[in-house]
Parts: sequence; C-alpha cells; structure tokens
Amino acid sequence: MTALGRQVWGLTIPAVAWAAHFIAIYALISAACAPRGLIDIPLMFGLGIVATVLFGIAALWPTIRPPKGAALTGAIRVGGLIFAVAILFDVLPLIFSSGCGG
Amino acid sequence: MTAVDEPQSYSGTRKGEPDKTIEEVWAQPTGLRWWSSVSHRVVGKRFIYTGFAFFIIAGFLALLVRTQLIVPGNTFLDNETYNQVFTMHGTLMMFLFAIPILEGFAVYLIPMMLGARDLIFPRLGQFGYYCYLFGGIIVLSSFLFDAAPDGGWFMYVPLTTNAFTPGVSADFWLIGITFAEIASVTAAVELIVAILCARAPGMSLTKMPIFAWYILITAFMIAIGFPPLIIGSILLEANRLLGLPFFDPTVGGDPLLWQHLFWLFGHPEVYIIFLPAAGMVATILPTFVGKPLFGYGFVVAAVISMGFISFGLWAHHMFTTGLPILSLSLFSAASTMVAVPTGVQIFAFIATLAQGRPRMTTPMLFVMGFLFIFVLGGLTGVMLASVPFNWQAHDSYFVVAHLHYVLIGGMVFPLFAAFYYWAPHITGRMMSERLGKWVFWLMFIGFNATFFLMHVTGLRGMPRRIATYPEGIGWDRLNLLSTLGSYILAAGVALFIFDFIRHLRHGERAGRDPWRAGTMEWLYPTVAIGFNFHAIPPVETREPLWNNPNMLGKNAEDVEGVMRKMHDGRRETIGCDPVSGSPVQIVRLPHPTFTPMFTAFALAVAFAATIASAYFVAIAGIVAGLLGFTIWAWEPSDSGVTRDAGMGYVLPVNMIEKRSHMHIATVGTMLVLYALLGSLIFALLYLWNVYPNFAAQTAQPNLLWTGLSMLAGLVLLILAMINRRVAVADKIGLATVMNLAVILASIACTACLALAIQRTDPWGTALGATMWATLGFVALNLFITLYWALFNAARKVTGRVGAGQSLPDFNLATYAKGTAVMVLITGGLFLAATLGGLS
Ligand code: HEM
Ligand SMILES: [Cu+2]
Repeated sequence: MTALGRQVWGLTIPAVAWAAHFIAIYALISAACAPRGLIDIPLMFGLGIVATVLFGIAALWPTIRPPKGAALTGAIRVGGLIFAVAILFDVLPLIFSSGCGG
Repeated sequence: MTAVDEPQSYSGTRKGEPDKTIEEVWAQPTGLRWWSSVSHRVVGKRFIYTGFAFFIIAGFLALLVRTQLIVPGNTFLDNETYNQVFTMHGTLMMFLFAIPILEGFAVYLIPMMLGARDLIFPRLGQFGYYCYLFGGIIVLSSFLFDAAPDGGWFMYVPLTTNAFTPGVSADFWLIGITFAEIASVTAAVELIVAILCARAPGMSLTKMPIFAWYILITAFMIAIGFPPLIIGSILLEANRLLGLPFFDPTVGGDPLLWQHLFWLFGHPEVYIIFLPAAGMVATILPTFVGKPLFGYGFVVAAVISMGFISFGLWAHHMFTTGLPILSLSLFSAASTMVAVPTGVQIFAFIATLAQGRPRMTTPMLFVMGFLFIFVLGGLTGVMLASVPFNWQAHDSYFVVAHLHYVLIGGMVFPLFAAFYYWAPHITGRMMSERLGKWVFWLMFIGFNATFFLMHVTGLRGMPRRIATYPEGIGWDRLNLLSTLGSYILAAGVALFIFDFIRHLRHGERAGRDPWRAGTMEWLYPTVAIGFNFHAIPPVETREPLWNNPNMLGKNAEDVEGVMRKMHDGRRETIGCDPVSGSPVQIVRLPHPTFTPMFTAFALAVAFAATIASAYFVAIAGIVAGLLGFTIWAWEPSDSGVTRDAGMGYVLPVNMIEKRSHMHIATVGTMLVLYALLGSLIFALLYLWNVYPNFAAQTAQPNLLWTGLSMLAGLVLLILAMINRRVAVADKIGLATVMNLAVILASIACTACLALAIQRTDPWGTALGATMWATLGFVALNLFITLYWALFNAARKVTGRVGAGQSLPDFNLATYAKGTAVMVLITGGLFLAATLGGLS
C-alpha cells in the first residue's frame, strides 16, 4: 500500500472505532434498560468500560503513531482527537448515572 | 501491455460514431431528443431548476402559514388545510428542494472541478432526475385530489395509519417520497464513484478541491442515512395496504419504532443538507479572500467526524417519548459533542477570512450571512440538546426558530451565495451586484425578523403546528411581526428571481474566470463546450488555476493533458486510482438515450398505480421497468482493449479489477443494501427486546430449514467466487454454467428461508411481520442476483461479451457474495431464535 493509502486508513480507523463504540454503548443500554432486561447494570457498566478502553485506544492509535507521510498527518491528529473525545462523551452517562433512571 | 492494439472493430466500437469529431460526438441532442441528454451539465441544471421550483412552491406554502397566523383567531385557512399546508411545506423543503438542489450542484460541478468529461454513470444521472421529477409530481398531485398529506413532515404513527388517516393522503407521501429518495440514493452512489474514480491525472485525495471532500462524505451519508426511512416508509405502507402490524402495540408493535427509523434518517438528513452547503462556502470564501482555505486537513477531519457522529444523535428528537433516562443522557452528550467538528469548520472559515481583505461581493455577503445565522442556530441547538430544556421547548415555536436558523442559515444562504457565484458559469453573464446586495439585505432582515422573534414566541409557550391562537396571551404582536418579516424575506427571493431573469439578457458578459477563482471549473470561458475538457490537464495543487500558469495562460483548448485523441468514436474520460489519482483506465461513457427516462416513467406508473390501488397496472409498470433496465444494460461490452491516452499513458478500456468504476459502484450499492438490511435487523432486535411476551407468542423458525438456508447461502458464496475465477480466466462456457449454478443456489436460498418461517404468522405479531419483511428484502436481493446471472448467461450465449470482457461476471460475483452473506446473517438470526427461543 502507498504511504497516502496508509494515511487514509489512519483517517478512517478512529471513525470506525467510534462507530463500533457507539453501537456497543447503545446496545448495552438497550440490553439493560428495556423490558427484556438481558443484562444487569453492573455488567452493562463493566462491558461499557471494556469497550471504551478498547475502542478508545483504537481511535487514538493513528494519532499516537501516525502512518508515515505528511499529506494528512494534521488531519489524522484532529480526527483522532475528535473521535476520542466523542467516545469519552458517549460513555459519560454510564459513569455518572446509577441506573436506567426510569 | 506496451503495444496499442487498435483493431478496426471490436464490440466497443459498435456504438461509436467514428466519422464524427469530438465536438460532434459530445454535442447536446436538439429538438425532442433534448430530453434524452445524459450530460452532467444538463442533468445538474435540471436538478437545480426543478429544486428551485419546489423551493418557490414550498415558500409560497410558508407564506400561507404565516398569513394564517398574522392575527389571532384568523379564519384564512381552516384546520385541515392548515395541516396540509405546513406538512407539504416541510416535506417539499426537506425532500424535494434541499437535497436535490444540492445534489444538482454537485452533479454539475464535480466533474469539472475534478477533471472529468462527464459524471461516471451519465444514464444513472438521467434516471435519478426523472425519478425525482416524477416522485415530486406524485407528491404535489395530491393537492389536485384534495388528498394532500397532513401528518407533519415526519408522519408519526399512529396518526398516519389507516385508523386515523383514511384515504390516500399518507400513501401519496410514503410512495412519492420513497420514489424521490431513490433518486437521491442513485445520485449518491454515482457521486461517490465519480469522485473516487474519475479525477485528473495526479489529483490525489489530498489535492482534491475541498468541495469534493464535502460531497464525498455527504454521498456516503445519503447511502447509509436514507435506507432507514426507505424501510420505515415501506413498513408503514405495508401496514396501510396489507394491515401488517409493525407499529401496533396490541400485537407487539411500537409507534416508537417508526420514530427511531425516521430519525435515524432524519438527523443525518440535516447534516446531509448542511455539508454540501458548507462545502460551497469553503469554495467561495478562498476566492474572495484570495488565499487558500485555512486548515484544509482540519476541515477534512472535521467533515469526516461530522459525517460519522451525526449518526449517533437521532434520539434527541425523542427526548419526550419516555425513553430510559440513561439513553437520553447518551444522546444528549453525543449531541453536545457534535458542536466540536462544527466549530472546527467555522473556525477554519473565520481564519480564512482573517488571512486577507475579502472582496465584499454578493456571494461573500451571503457567506457572511451564513456564518452569522448558522452560528446562532448552532447555539440554540446546543441548548436543545440539554434534556431539561428540551422538555420545556419541545414542539414549541422555539424549535421552529432553531430549525430554520440551521436550515436557512446553514443551507439557503450558502445556496444563494452559490447562485450568485456560479450563475455566470451557467449562463455566461454576471448577475447584478447592486440588486444582489438588495436581495441579501432583504433576505437577511426578513429572515431574522421572522425567526428571531419565534424564539420568544416559543418561550412564551406557543406550540408549533397550531392553526390559530387566542388573543391577548402575549403572542399577537410577535406573530404579526414574524409574518411581516416573512413577507420581506419573500420580497428578497422575488427580487432574486427578477434579477436572474434580467441578467439572462442584460447581464454583463462574464468572460473567463470572472471571480479569479482557483478551481478547475473555471478553466474554460463560461458557457463552454459540453464535454468540459479537450484534454484533461494533470493537476499538482488544490488551486490549479492559481498555481499553474499554463492553465489560464493559454487558450483553454490548448492546455496540455491526457485524452486529447478520441478512440473508436466514443465518449470517454480518464479513470484513476481512488487514492493516488494516477490514471489507470479509460472509461467509456454512454451517448444520449431515452432508456433511463422510460425506465423511470415505468416505475412512476407502478408507484402511482399502487396509490390508486390499480395493482395490475402496478405490476405492468414494474415489468416494464425491469425491461427498461435490461435494455439499458444490454449493450456491447467496452472492455478488452488498450488505447493510447497520450502523455505516455497506454491504458485499458473499462478495466476488469477491483478498482474499476463499475466494481466500486457495485460495492457502493452493497453499502446501501446493507444499510437497508441493517434497518430491518434494528427493527427485529428492537421489537424482540422491548416486547418479550409478544416475542414468545411468535412461532419459532424451523431448525432444519434454517440450517439448510445457511448451507445454501454458503454454497451461493462459493459459487459466486468460482464464477468470478472462471470468468476472469476467459472460460466462457464454464462461466455460463456457473451463472446457472448461481441461479439455482439463489432459488434454494429463497425457498429454504421461506420454509424456515412458514409457521410464523405475519399478522399475528409485529415481530413475525418484521421477520417476513426481512425475508422479503433478502429474497428481493436473491431475485436480482438470479436475474443478473440469467442476463450474463444470455449475453455470453448470444456473443454479446467475449474473451477479455468478464467485467459483468466480475461484478455479479461481488453482488452475489454480498447477497449470500445476507442469507447467512438472516439464517443466523433465525437460528438464534430457534435455539435460544424467542421468549
Ligand atoms: C422561506 C421561508 C420560510 C418560512 C417563512 C418558513 C416558515 C415556517 C413556519 C411558520 C413553520 C411552522 C408551521 C407550524 O408549525 O405550524 C415551518 C415549519 C417547517 N419548515 Fe419552514 N419556513 C421557511 C423555509 C424553510 C426551509 C428553507 C426549510 C428547509 C430546508 C424549512 C423546513 C421546515 C420544516 C421541516 C418545518 C416543520 C414542518 C412540520 O412541522 O411538519 N422551512 N416553516
Ligand atoms: Cu437532530
């Protein structure tokens, strides 16, 4: 793959990590708080943290080690940071709420 | 391949016009055949003019709304008419004005900015336009039958079900809008492929004009964001026609499912409207500042992150529906967060402004108006993202004010900037700067008068969507002023129309690059040849007209580039590697044809007949449409030869590999199809999760048939791979046999899946109905696979494709593999339901 091709990957990986994380959090909340009650709150919380750590690292990875080439490095950094912050925002409700809250 | 073989006749020359010059081959058809044009310039302009017509109609409806509200207790419109008028206003504005007109600009501009002679699938462009036109006419014609939809632009159930909306008004909406959406989705796939596969030599992704990035991301968003609404509309229509209970809580359906599907589309929709407009701003600003856009890379990153994050916000439209507080917090946090990428773009625009002394032309005024209004709309957006505030302001005029600040500020003002900026490109004449300033100030003052006050009206408790209000509760004067403001706004738009008509004859001649812009659409003198480039120049920078003295220093037709010579009497352009932009193939383009128009018309008949419950006519329309597609695709293959593209490039024509534009289009189509499937799976999981006791009442799929369906899916997957191999190896007879094998496997998949859920009653529970809907969707894809394989086999048998022309089978394999995986996913879900039980 060309250097630019790798940089394009560096742009997309954080985006995909964010998407996966968002789906995970939404699914966990739905599993815990809908009538079916698939999982309980502590499990939801635990899995949410695991997902956040995993996908958070994935989102920041290209920022920490940008693929070689100069064309898109700035964009990769900004993109990685935005998505990392978004991942953090999406998990905050889990951390600050004590339950599904009615 | 070094030798350029130019055999006198191969299948690709059959459609050629070898005796003609390049100008003649590309000439616009005249007379009645004008309608058969496939040129992106013509189609783009049609989208723009038609979109503007819908803007005028919807704007007129808005004036009716405002006139009704001018005084308390007004009887200008009765309640029913009022409901129809605001519903049609919102519907036309969102679906038939905003998206299509922006796509029209993209269709018109993208090829020229990127160095292509036309969009990569010109016939698809024509098809999309006619779908849009006919869909729009269907929606509008509801007025003639006094059956205009009146359920609000988001058509909430149960209001829009048969019980509360008898008659056909909701059907007009559901069917007409779905039809028009097909146009948006086809245009999106086409734009994605055009941007990735047809750029000037050397234009890598990072050398693309910023507008192309905006359009690329927008197009992906359309491809993923429209499917939830298409599925939602089909489910609701199936509910109305067949009584399938998707949204009926008495059998485990849920009105909120409609809201989820609608807003899964609806929220990204507003970003789909905003992003292309912001891309226009990012193009216009640098021209008048005279400096490149500040922070190109940052803007690219911001646009990508906006594109993604906007899919994680939809439930902020559902804060008052009783979702768990935890969900509300998630969507509230995510909604606040989206301000960050928006802010990055706004800062990049402001920093660009700060780099020089901008020339305050009319387009610039509108850009400034955009910055001012949109930022205010963004601020009220952040306010509404906070759940407690939202509970207060929900469904009040505060929301109406907010949504118009973002939509008019974020889209209409940039659009008017674009009208003034690109009008000389389209008409060859300049619009008036003096009148333009009047237009701007009238619109700006009128807009703020109308909508700023609505914040206050809303905070004073006035709900949206009420036809009238009592006197003396503090709303009278605000409403009066809002209405007067809307008249001023309308006067601005009227003056614009006057100026546009005036400038067609009396405007100053524009000449070449009148605004001193840097992007390639201005390379030729305005009102230029229809095929954009005599030769396609290599591009090294983002503003080639500023940095490359050869471009404006010469006559446009003398600028050096590839593809100066025409081959085989065919329309063609250069195809590139998606990332690096280096030329990899010659892309053959179609000549004018009526087939796409005919196909769109046949489908329009089918849709209209469905509204009228004339089901035989509907079936006839669908068959005719299928026939249209078949004729469309039944053409001599172009692959299999190489040609000299000039500047040292000897390239294959319509190459057969993964980077081929056709293959990338197939992948893009799969993306849309998977978004459709994903919406159905969302519905399945949602109903299963929210109504456990109704899930328990739904009959479980049969284990044996489920297992067999997964086996059949696996077989289809493997057969598709073999099909590709033998086709690429030019074993034509064997490839035909493999086509037949694919057909049999598709039939087996359909049969096994249907047998697996034969005991599930679609009318019994909503979950059962959704299982059948999912099956129906997968079966449709299996049918397309089958039909395509049959088509390819027939073409091989009749000698339409020969050695070295395996592209159709190459693409079929990708489609069949995608479909096989759908079978596996659906089978897997059925299997889980059988093994885990539905309870
Ligand atoms: C031309 C100036 C415009 C005026 C004076 C105007 C006025 C209005 C008013 C007063 C309403 C509220 C009706 C009610 O709730 O009873 C409304 C609703 C709406 N408007 Fe506009 N509008 C304008 C332009 C636009 C544009 C450009 C768009 C989108 C691109 C738009 C999209 C909408 C939508 C989606 C609704 C909600 C309809 C519903 O509640 O179902 N409007 N408009
Ligand atoms: Cu939203």
